Amino acid sequence: MKPATISPGSSKGEESKFKRMFVDIWKYRMTYTLLIPGLIWLILFAYMPMAGLSLAFKHFRANDGIWGSEFIGLENFEYLFRDPAFAAAVWRTLYVNIIKLFITFPFPILLALLLNELRMRRYKKVLQTAFTFPHFLSWIIVSGIIINVLAYDGFVNSLLSLVGLPTVNFLGSEQNFYPMIILTDIWKSTGWGAIVFMAAISGIDQEQYEAAQIDGATRIQQMFRVTLPNIMPTVTIMFILSVGGLMSSGFDQIFNLANAATQNVSQVLDVYIYRVTFQSSSDFGFSSAVSLFRSIVNMVLLLLADRAAKWMGGDGLFR
Amino acid sequence: MKAKNMFSVKTLLLLALSLVMVLVTACSNGSDDAATGTADEKNEDGTYKNNLTISYAGITDISKADLQDKFHKTFSDKFNITWDYNYVDWDSWGEKLRLWINSGDLPDFASWNYVNGDAMNYIDQGLFYKFPEDWKERWPNAAKAYESTGLGERLEEKVGGTYVLPRPVYFQNKPADPLLNQIGVIAIRKDWAEKVGFELKDAYTMSELMEFAKLVKEQDPGKVGKRLVPMSFNAGDILTGFVMANNEHGRVESAFYKGEDGKYHWGPADESTLTGLKLAQQAYKDGLLDPEFYTWKNSEGGDAFKVTGISAVAGLGGLASYRQEMDTAMKKNLNLNSSDVVHEALIIGEDGKYRNLEQVNFWSSLVFSPNVTQEKFERIMDMVDYSVTEDAQKFLNLGFEGEDWKEENGELVSTLPEGTTLEDKYPGRFEGLYVLGDDFSVINPAIKKEFRDRSVELYKEKASLSTDGGAMATYDWDFQLYTSKAKDQANFTFETEYANLILQDGDLETNWKKWVESKQSIVQPVIDELNENFAK
Repeated sequence: MKPATISPGSSKGEESKFKRMFVDIWKYRMTYTLLIPGLIWLILFAYMPMAGLSLAFKHFRANDGIWGSEFIGLENFEYLFRDPAFAAAVWRTLYVNIIKLFITFPFPILLALLLNELRMRRYKKVLQTAFTFPHFLSWIIVSGIIINVLAYDGFVNSLLSLVGLPTVNFLGSEQNFYPMIILTDIWKSTGWGAIVFMAAISGIDQEQYEAAQIDGATRIQQMFRVTLPNIMPTVTIMFILSVGGLMSSGFDQIFNLANAATQNVSQVLDVYIYRVTFQSSSDFGFSSAVSLFRSIVNMVLLLLADRAAKWMGGDGLFR
Repeated sequence: MKAKNMFSVKTLLLLALSLVMVLVTACSNGSDDAATGTADEKNEDGTYKNNLTISYAGITDISKADLQDKFHKTFSDKFNITWDYNYVDWDSWGEKLRLWINSGDLPDFASWNYVNGDAMNYIDQGLFYKFPEDWKERWPNAAKAYESTGLGERLEEKVGGTYVLPRPVYFQNKPADPLLNQIGVIAIRKDWAEKVGFELKDAYTMSELMEFAKLVKEQDPGKVGKRLVPMSFNAGDILTGFVMANNEHGRVESAFYKGEDGKYHWGPADESTLTGLKLAQQAYKDGLLDPEFYTWKNSEGGDAFKVTGISAVAGLGGLASYRQEMDTAMKKNLNLNSSDVVHEALIIGEDGKYRNLEQVNFWSSLVFSPNVTQEKFERIMDMVDYSVTEDAQKFLNLGFEGEDWKEENGELVSTLPEGTTLEDKYPGRFEGLYVLGDDFSVINPAIKKEFRDRSVELYKEKASLSTDGGAMATYDWDFQLYTSKAKDQANFTFETEYANLILQDGDLETNWKKWVESKQSIVQPVIDELNENFAK
């Protein structure tokens, strides 16, 4: 096939560009076919629900549907910004999640590095399974266990009493709430989070380790001079993605562990959305306005993190 | 560079494709039209021609029920129906129904906890079935019960038709006039009170009850030890016992009220709310409440009294059926005769005044799917109409005449073996579709006569106390039927809010003032709207 001369902006150039694209698609049709299930999933569950975002600007009536409902401009946002609980929930969400991010994020990396150092394959697998297992427990179950263990008459306080120490009000203390959230999150998600880093480690060229060994590097030196630098692109991407979720993580954990005593520290944005959607007169337009606001903030944070990563010389998400 | 450009074009194409899909999906209409169908057909002998499968969502747990047992079968055979029963857990009732109604997935009919703002919204959107104009003539028994609720006709005026059947609390057996809410009755361990030398009365202030709780804590008359919870109140009981007793406008039902000046006010900001909160905090600090009362679920407060027997005071409620349940539970779990150890009493405010809410004569409602067929609607209404009759009430609440009950000298007498209830024999009876069980509980022989009499006595006492120097939060129809976005937004879970205030460190009064202040941006617009529309 003779390549066409492309002059930018000319219709002939555009036409040949499209033609070439279709030729390319046809040429790699088998590869593109593999994309179809993923694309369908993306369209069904990521793009189609986006139509619902327009509800943020509407007075939703189920019978009129998403498009037929009355357009009310920014009215939902006016009510939203009038509610002091909303502003408090936004700041609280950022506060909780930033603390969570900086404390919990290194744990999966650390675990992956440590597991990588184990030489007994069977023991390594047992440990990896043990660390990954909590991820598969729902927060409802985990919270039930934690509440029972930390209650006044629970295991921990009984143990404290037994050794003559004073009991601690774990569940009803605002001061103890965030540590409880962070510790349980580390316990539940470290093993699962480490999988990505383990995969990145397994892709490191073994010759680098051989070279390091020849140069006399210790195991610790190899870890910090070979393994860690090689997985840094993965670490960066995972960090950027985590920053992109700063406004939305942790509903099921916080909702299930919270109670009246910790209300002032547990009312994060997701809990707020749940409350305005399901616990008072339903207003899906209002709830959508909160969700849209959250998504926009998440997007801004994601872009900022991406820019910061590039600025610091690392790889970003967007090229 | 070329590859990069081409990738962008592809990405754009994909985006365009997905947007088209979004538009196509969003613009397409579901099957909105209600299948009205044909009228219900009957045989010459009056029986129903076609067997209909009727779906119903209710909060009666039927996990132990056998829908083929004699009771359920008699009912379903009478109306030639097959039930498709959808049990809805109490804790998720509101949420589940809200989702079903909004998504058009409501069963043929459902028990729905009436919320006026939602009702207006749903009716406006056509999410409830509109009753035919002549329904009151066709189902006169149901219509009579419907009229007794007060809400039905007011709602009709507002929305131009019948869409909701509010469920009457009392129909034939109203115990007192004015009728006050059943809440605000407590149970006291009278054997413990005697042991610690505490006087038994019909009404106590919270300070008096706290004195009793302190005596129990010090002397432990029941030899409970470390597990003792002198007052097993959950957050809801604290709201009723401590706050409502001192301010009848401290609850969500009556928070916005018209004051003597003819203007609207917000009860939680009244000083008397603080009085209740201070007492509750004192009770908590003195160790009279459970240290983790705020984590308790609905039944846990009562369970500490009647199941584990570790409590001296618990919230009970004024229904005779609650008292009967307590009796059964104490016998079963503690081997105690509750009549020997339980004393029921009312709570009065620190100023000696009795306070409660006027009991509007409805609680929850029946709503129908807009897609219910005419045939099914008519069959359901036949069932509803039958269920409110005297005969049906006896069948639904007592079982079979001659087998489960009999009439002696004009009195109903249960013939079930001692210690057995109809619920044990026929579990999961949900067929009492319309009039609530409270009505029949006044005359139900399955409930001990002394409990029924005491229940009526307490209702009468409440009525007399509230009209004789007491304070009753009257049901404000203007407010209740008013809908606005601001009103919807000013919907707080007061039991959680108050529990939080009680548990906060620092000075309670300062915290309460701060809390009131923090709610003003939400509350004041509602007060302004109400004053504009209804103030003198």
